[in-house]
Formats: sequence, structure tokens, C-alpha cells
Amino acid sequence: MVPTGRPPAAAPTGTPELSAAAIEMGIDFGAESCKVLAGASGRGSLRPAPAVKSNRKAALFRIPLLVALALAITFGCGTLSAVWALKATIGFGSIALGPWVAFPNAQTDRADPYAKAHRARDGALLFGSAEGLMFRASHDSNGRTLSGRCAYDIVGLTPPARFWTLHATTPEGRPLPLASVLPAGLNSWTVLRGADNNATIHVAASARPGNWLAVAPDQPFRLVLTLLDTPTAGSSGVIDLTMPAIVQTECSDA
Amino acid sequence: MRSVLFAAVVGLLGAAALHILIVLAVPGFTGNDAYTRIASLGDVQRFYPLPAAPARSGAPFSDDPALRIAVCALSIAERPVRLYAPDTVPFWSLGLFDRASNEVFSMNDRTSVGGALDVVVATPVQLNAIRKALPAELSQSILVEMADQDGYAVLRTFAPTATMEEGARAFLADAGCETIDTGATE
Repeated sequence: MVPTGRPPAAAPTGTPELSAAAIEMGIDFGAESCKVLAGASGRGSLRPAPAVKSNRKAALFRIPLLVALALAITFGCGTLSAVWALKATIGFGSIALGPWVAFPNAQTDRADPYAKAHRARDGALLFGSAEGLMFRASHDSNGRTLSGRCAYDIVGLTPPARFWTLHATTPEGRPLPLASVLPAGLNSWTVLRGADNNATIHVAASARPGNWLAVAPDQPFRLVLTLLDTPTAGSSGVIDLTMPAIVQTECSDA
Repeated sequence: MRSVLFAAVVGLLGAAALHILIVLAVPGFTGNDAYTRIASLGDVQRFYPLPAAPARSGAPFSDDPALRIAVCALSIAERPVRLYAPDTVPFWSLGLFDRASNEVFSMNDRTSVGGALDVVVATPVQLNAIRKALPAELSQSILVEMADQDGYAVLRTFAPTATMEEGARAFLADAGCETIDTGATE
């Protein structure tokens, strides 16, 4: 075993942490073999030189490695976090009424940078404030993710609006794969109401009596309730309004 | 070890800066925003009724089964644009957005004059010229000022039942999005 500066020379190929460890080990090996050789031959005075050399080499690789580590973290974390943020959130300024979430300012100039970036990637046609307000729900009133494996009842009154429409989409906002004969949407004109003006809407993959909104079996979905021409959109008192509850009624076993 | 930690902290600071930079820069670079999608449908100054499912990936579509939507990409660089539609449906609403998808103006049939859509979109300079000599045919129009020269209009109507489908389609087909000659444009 000859104490050359070889172990440190292998350092740049590994990941930063491993390379740092390799540098340390290389130095140790160098010093160790130095001692052994010095003891054996008795010519210790010549031996420290390779160790110093390897130290210098280690320092030589250390700075670029640290710079590479910093750059890797910058570009890796910076890009991934931005992509995640734009996919996961529509922005700030949401109104949550039970499981229903709306973004009354997402289409305006006052929207925050996340909302602007999201809508630029999404390309959706947003509702102007005099047109309506769209509420979305991905969870039921108990916080469980909506799934086509289960059946739900939507119970209660909607906030004041001239009309409302209800339909289901995939969690990404695309149309559900449904046969065209199935009821893919309900609205305030077609819904059947009880004597107290309340309507119960059954959301299920299989047919139900009364108000039935069809969803695709075994697929997660999102409910979209659009209030057309509603004072809700422009009002700051929206927090006091109530939205219908989404109650899970049954689930088929997986 | 301390220098590795230092490098990690510097990296995280850089990551935060890059995150902010990306989020702020995305709206200018996606090529996927609503204006680009609508402009890719065809000519400007024309209402295109949207299909219920995207014709191809990225094309705008009308996802609500009870709403029928038509969109018009408009450019007022040279002349003002007039949006009009008859009073034949129980509900319609118009959203006017600039190129960056910021809402410029929105209205519905209740806030219109006599229930029909009649809106003139113009730049501040064009609007001054129109106001100075208001043509008789624009006397009932709602004048809207848009600072951006490009934008798009979204016209929605409510088709709650299958029987109203025909009326909704006819309403959107009759809707107009045309440049007007005010005679005052230099």
C-alpha cells in the first residue's frame, strides 16, 4: 500500500456528502500508512509530504463541491417548490364555506402572484364578478375525499343567486368519462324540491330516485357549484352565508 | 462540516429567490393562458361557441353542462370593438378580460339596457373621440375602457333544459364581436 494521493482523486464523482467523506478517509489512510511505513523503514522524515499533498488536493475539490451542492439545492428545490405550489394551490384569498371553496378575486388584477401564475397555466375561463361565483369541493363535510366508490347526499340551501348549476369533474377539472345519457349536471330549474323549498341531491355512480347526479364509478371527483348572478361574488359578508352540506351515505367495499 | 451546512443554507436562500422568480415569471411564459387558447381558435373579432369537451389538448371548452359559452379574442389597437347579442334567453353574462386574464368589465342581462347586450370596448383615446361625437347608433351602448389593446370576451348563457338548448345556441350564433368605424379614428 503506497500512500499516494489517489483516494482523494476519486472524490468528484460521488454525491457531495459521500465525496466529503471520501476526502476525509483519503487523508486518514494517507496518514495511517505514513506512520506504518515510517515505523517499518525508519525514514519518517520523508513521509509527511504525501499527506500534505492530499490535504491540499482535498481543499482543491472542496470548494467546487460546496458550490455544486449550493447550486443543486437552489435549482432543485427552487424549481420543484414552484411547480408544486402552482399545481397544489390556486392562490390565496379563498373563501371556504364547509367543504366548498371559492376564489372571488382570482380573475381580477388584485389576485396574488400565485393565483395569476396558476390561472396562466390553467387557462380556465373564470367568472367575472357580475357573472357568478364558482365553488368547488373535493371533500365531503367530514373531510373525506370524494370518490365514485361512495354515494353522497347534498343537503341544504344555496346562497342567494338567480340560478345555480352543479356538476362533477375529475380532480384536475376535466370532464368525467360519463355516457351522454346520464345526468351529468343539475341546476336550479331542473332540481326537484320538497315542500320546504329544500332539495336533496344524490351523488352516486348508480341510479337514485329523486335528484341524481351521476359520477364515474371508482374514480375520485370534484363537485362544482356555480352561482350565477349572485350578490355573493361582490360581497364581503360571504362568510356568513351557508352552503349545502355534502354527507356520505354509503360506500361499496373496495 | 460547517461549510457543508453553509453551502446548504446558501442553496436554500437561492431556492427561495428562484421560487419567487419562477412564480412571477410564469404568467409571461406559459403560452397556455386563456388568451392564447382563445386566440388559437381562429380570427380575432369573432365569437366561437365552445364544445362540451376539448377538441384537442389545451383548447378551451365549456365544462358546465348547463352553460353554453362563446368566446371572442378582440384587438382594439386600431378601432373599437362592439359586442352585441339579442334579448332572447333567460340569462346571459359577459366577462371582458385583458390579455393577462384580468377582469376589465363584467355584466349580465339584469345590468344591461333593455336586456340586450350592447357594449363598446375602446382604448382611452378612442373613447374620448367617441364621447366627443357620439354616433346615434351607439347612444344606447355601454362604453368600456380597456387599457390593454388585446383581450377576450366570454359570453355565457344558461341552458337548464334540453328544450332551451336550441335557443341558447341561436343566441350565441347571433352574438356579434365586430370592429366599428366611429369616423373619429385618425
